[in-house]
Amino acid sequence: MIKVGIPRALLYYQYYPMWKTFFEELGAEVVVSPPTTQAILSSGSSRVVAETCLPVKAFCGHVLALAGECDYLFIPAIRSVKSRIYNCSKFLGLPDMTKAVTPESPPILDIDIDINQGKRELYQAIYKLGRRFTWNPLKVRQAAIAAWQAHLKYMQLMSDQDLNPLQAIERISNTTEVEPKTPPDNPTPPQATIALIGHPYLLYDEHINHRLIHRLEQAHYKVLTPEMLTAEGLESATARLVGGAYWTYEEEVVGAGGHYLESGTDGVIGIMAFGCGPDSLMMDIVHRRAARLRTTPFMSLTLEEHTAEAGVATRLEAFLDMIQRRKRRQAEVCV
Amino acid sequence: MRIGMPHMGNLYIPFKALFQRLNIDFVIPPVNNQRTLSLGVRYSPEGMCIPFKLTMGNLIEAAELGADTLLMPAGSGICRLGYYAKTQEHILHDLGYDAEIVCLGVSSQRKLFGLLEMIKRLSNNAPWAKIISAFRFGLAKLNAMDRIERVVQKARPVEQVKGTANRLFAQAIKAIDQADDYGTLKRVQRDYLDQLNQATRNGNTQPLIVGITGEFYVLLEPFSNLDVEKELGKLGVEVRRTTFISEWTKFSLFLNPLGMNEKDRIHKAALPYLKRDIGGDGWESVGEKVLHAKEYDGLIHLAPFTCMPEIVAQNIMPSTKENIPVLTILCDEQLGKPGMLTRLEAFVDLLKHRRRAKVKT
Repeated sequence: MIKVGIPRALLYYQYYPMWKTFFEELGAEVVVSPPTTQAILSSGSSRVVAETCLPVKAFCGHVLALAGECDYLFIPAIRSVKSRIYNCSKFLGLPDMTKAVTPESPPILDIDIDINQGKRELYQAIYKLGRRFTWNPLKVRQAAIAAWQAHLKYMQLMSDQDLNPLQAIERISNTTEVEPKTPPDNPTPPQATIALIGHPYLLYDEHINHRLIHRLEQAHYKVLTPEMLTAEGLESATARLVGGAYWTYEEEVVGAGGHYLESGTDGVIGIMAFGCGPDSLMMDIVHRRAARLRTTPFMSLTLEEHTAEAGVATRLEAFLDMIQRRKRRQAEVCV
Repeated sequence: MRIGMPHMGNLYIPFKALFQRLNIDFVIPPVNNQRTLSLGVRYSPEGMCIPFKLTMGNLIEAAELGADTLLMPAGSGICRLGYYAKTQEHILHDLGYDAEIVCLGVSSQRKLFGLLEMIKRLSNNAPWAKIISAFRFGLAKLNAMDRIERVVQKARPVEQVKGTANRLFAQAIKAIDQADDYGTLKRVQRDYLDQLNQATRNGNTQPLIVGITGEFYVLLEPFSNLDVEKELGKLGVEVRRTTFISEWTKFSLFLNPLGMNEKDRIHKAALPYLKRDIGGDGWESVGEKVLHAKEYDGLIHLAPFTCMPEIVAQNIMPSTKENIPVLTILCDEQLGKPGMLTRLEAFVDLLKHRRRAKVKT
């Protein structure tokens, strides 16, 4: 059986169920790299030039972790998934860049996704990818349809049940239905709600962000993330702030930021990677919005491979203390 | 309505000619200087690239001079450039300037017509004949400047008296700026080309040839790359550059719509290593290395710090089969001259050694 490797980085968090279904329908086995560790991150960053952003460094580490474990690596070049909205250069150059910096990686399956070229081109690209596994176009078609269904189900699961991608992927992969966890040990209501905004590959990679979600939950905060909002909500919030998205993954930053700043959460934390081109602009838009509204505290955390855990913890503590103080004062005023 | 626009090299000269001929009220912000950079750095998001910071500084300085309509290039599917105008407008408003940013589409399909239409709007509906004649005159100035610059690049390493080429170039730019009609322009161009030819040594020295490629803005704005071309000239190196504004205009405004693309050759060369356009000039950077590996002694790759396409290019470049030395210089507000000079000197030394070794074998 052909083994297809999928690095657990970047777009994995958005599209894994879709990709997995596609390849499995075509009779391949899907191998995923283990969660990020320091060793993976270091091996990745030793290959690329220093200016490369953190998530791409982690991605290269995952590719190295998969070398020798699979027959093919699946790395799509996603240029555009919405009309006239394009993706960051690093996603476009990802297959070629990976080939250049990790020569020992298995052959790369790449696919060009550009919705602006029309449906025909898209279908042809999918067929071209599927042809590596079967000569039967119908089978490719079936696999693609099944993959799309899986993706829709995944999105639905996240927005309906307030799950984050990690939980949703776990739910999907486990054939036996796991009962939704009812919070057993802390029946006390959460102290406050904190919204995290940023790309899934930063929010859910626990090594990269130093277990940020875990830390917040431990301190009894309810954590909201961009996936919990509906597509329409994100779109309209983006339109309010910047008049429409320019980047493919803009809504999860600008849209979610705009929404949460106005929806009565107690604080918003923006997470970005150092050297990220799109984020440097998008986070600034959210930051300016927060400064103009003056209703919700906003903090942006910039992650890079040197970010020490203690630094993140200290800033987080200071931010949470500030929120507590603010809440107390507001309560006093009300009384 | 008073128009202002950011700088990029000497691009203000053709625009000045265009606006003057159409009686448009305009201001030219001071050419890039330390204050521009400081203003830009202070008010831009910290992770932004140097083209954003410098143009931000230009826009603030133009707004200080009373400009209320600012021209900025924009478009979709390129790089962060398409997002500049949006953010810069936010920043200007936060600073209390009531200026409107008008976007110059650089990626849209109807480039030439879109540009002319925009000029028509800015000039309060001047007749088309007048607009086209003014536009042609602006283009003539642009072409004259670039023609002289090409000769200057060749003259720098072989001039008889050090510094002549740069001095003549500065004078030529000034004279072109002052030229009022095609006759004067032509005379100025011929004049300076003659003087430049006379200033060069007629021996058969073969200077090292260094190609210079990378991101459009830092290539064309000497302030952002700390005059890297002049410095290379001082070290006795002939600089070759394929990116010129006149080339860009010629192709993207006139020839691309006819289906001709100057970059096809470069893209084709890059194909084995980079299969698709990644926005910005990343594809071209890789392509130029592959294409010119035989004729150049070395390549200098200029990129703004945090530039997305150029980082991809920089990662890919070392793995090409075509093997010439590449020095990547990242430009940002932290780039210091002595540091850059040291690296250039070391690079040129390396190239000299390689050439000597080649001659021996």
